[in-house]
Amino acid sequence: MFAEAGPLRIVWASARNSFVTRFTAMHPILWLFQILITSFFAMYFFAALSEYIGNPEVTVSFVVIGNAVQSVAATTLYSVAEIPGVEKHTGTLGALIQSPSSLFSVFLGMSAFGILTGIFAMFVSLGYAAFVFGISFASCNFLSVGVILLLTCLSLTGLGMLLGSAGIRLRTAAIIANIFAYIGLLISGVNFPVSYLPDWVQAVSYCMPLTYAVEAVRGAVDGASLIDLYRPICMMILLGTVFMIIAWFSFKFFEESSRNSGKTDSF
Amino acid sequence: MNLRAVKASFKQQAIQFAADPQWIIPSIVSPFLFTMVMLYIYQDVTGPIVLQAVLGGGVLGMWANTLFASSFTISYDRMNGTFESMILSPTKVFDVLIGRSIWNAFIGLVNALLVFFIAELIFQTDITLANPIGFFLTLTLTLMSLASFGMLISTAFVFSRMGRFFSSVAEYPIYMVSGALVPVSALPQGLQYVSFALAPSWGVDAIKYTALEGYGGTMGVSLLTDIAMLAVLSAAVLVMAYYIMNGAESAILSAGSAERY
Repeated sequence: MFAEAGPLRIVWASARNSFVTRFTAMHPILWLFQILITSFFAMYFFAALSEYIGNPEVTVSFVVIGNAVQSVAATTLYSVAEIPGVEKHTGTLGALIQSPSSLFSVFLGMSAFGILTGIFAMFVSLGYAAFVFGISFASCNFLSVGVILLLTCLSLTGLGMLLGSAGIRLRTAAIIANIFAYIGLLISGVNFPVSYLPDWVQAVSYCMPLTYAVEAVRGAVDGASLIDLYRPICMMILLGTVFMIIAWFSFKFFEESSRNSGKTDSF
Repeated sequence: MNLRAVKASFKQQAIQFAADPQWIIPSIVSPFLFTMVMLYIYQDVTGPIVLQAVLGGGVLGMWANTLFASSFTISYDRMNGTFESMILSPTKVFDVLIGRSIWNAFIGLVNALLVFFIAELIFQTDITLANPIGFFLTLTLTLMSLASFGMLISTAFVFSRMGRFFSSVAEYPIYMVSGALVPVSALPQGLQYVSFALAPSWGVDAIKYTALEGYGGTMGVSLLTDIAMLAVLSAAVLVMAYYIMNGAESAILSAGSAERY
């Protein structure tokens, strides 16, 4: 008899697998090129838009920093949430559901690639902010930025896992992932202050980890320490944990209902 | 041109869309959100910028649909294993793509109208078109130019499996140079030249001429010149797509590399 693999071993094996499959399907140079181009033009598009409109409260600096953080959402959230849908499309979801390993552990491991891409995209975007858009990082607290960056990716992974779990039952979760990856542009204070939004949208905005991430990074760039930023940081940790716990239950539910109904590959 | 093949591929694309219509959503989401962002930054729901935002969002919707649909049209054949049969059949791939592109252009129009409609419903801008007939004429011409551009994009995927890579990389640059939200005249010189080389950019200018009262143009030319440029560049793109596609088809048939992934 084979010993049952522990969750950590499954997470590790899936993470390794995610890197191998992604870089087999796409050359690392192309992956790099994709991040460099997309991050730059996303920032540039909104910077040009804000400059054209000329609202004194929405400066180029405000928009550029906001979009640097948004680049994490666009990459981490989308790539994590689409994983179950991709497995279903390629015909491997049925085999994964039938294996004794928990789907949650498998997909958590697979999200490692999305997390890495998110961290890298944000560093690239902050580089553009400094060297192309001329944003001053003279008073920046780099330790705070680094910690917030990591927490942003982890909290968005929780949300991405929750959205992705629907992909076990639905034909694809890519549509939901697409909406959530872009919605931050509007409701998370990326391109204009959250206070511009109607009250009920503001309430939704403060349920999104990205809103706190944008607020915290702007503070850190202005020199705030981790202690100064304890409120947004705690909220990101809280929301990330809550999303991850709900995602665990959601995966469990969809996994069991797929096994019971035998519709492991229904499309 | 094999009209029967064009008709059949149009019908097949329509059936495929009807089987899974949710894929129109991603093409609506980003243009609509960009329109909303523009309006929130502007902080006012009256004046020419609002009309520009709503019109621009609609045009971006058409662009998004062209970009995503064209880049996936051949990629899906590769993924589903039908590419080899398609290329081995006596019908030219170009004819198949024409039918598909016409359907995609039609959905692009639906997409644009949905963005206009939702934005209008939320912001109640009471858009009044300066020249309604001219507006729908220029909108249709722009759509045709997008269809021909879509044909050119599709040819790239006869050679490559990187459909998703291209559409994700090209999304923002194309939004940028289209002049839909940020006018071409507000872009840096280098990007303005790129914009001038794209037929839909002239189409956007023509649409604005017919939609906005007192619009002076941002390409520095009259409405008629816009339409002439739109037609000439679209025809050039179509001819280019035809020759590239035929060359690619011959090369793949000679090398027997249709199923390479």
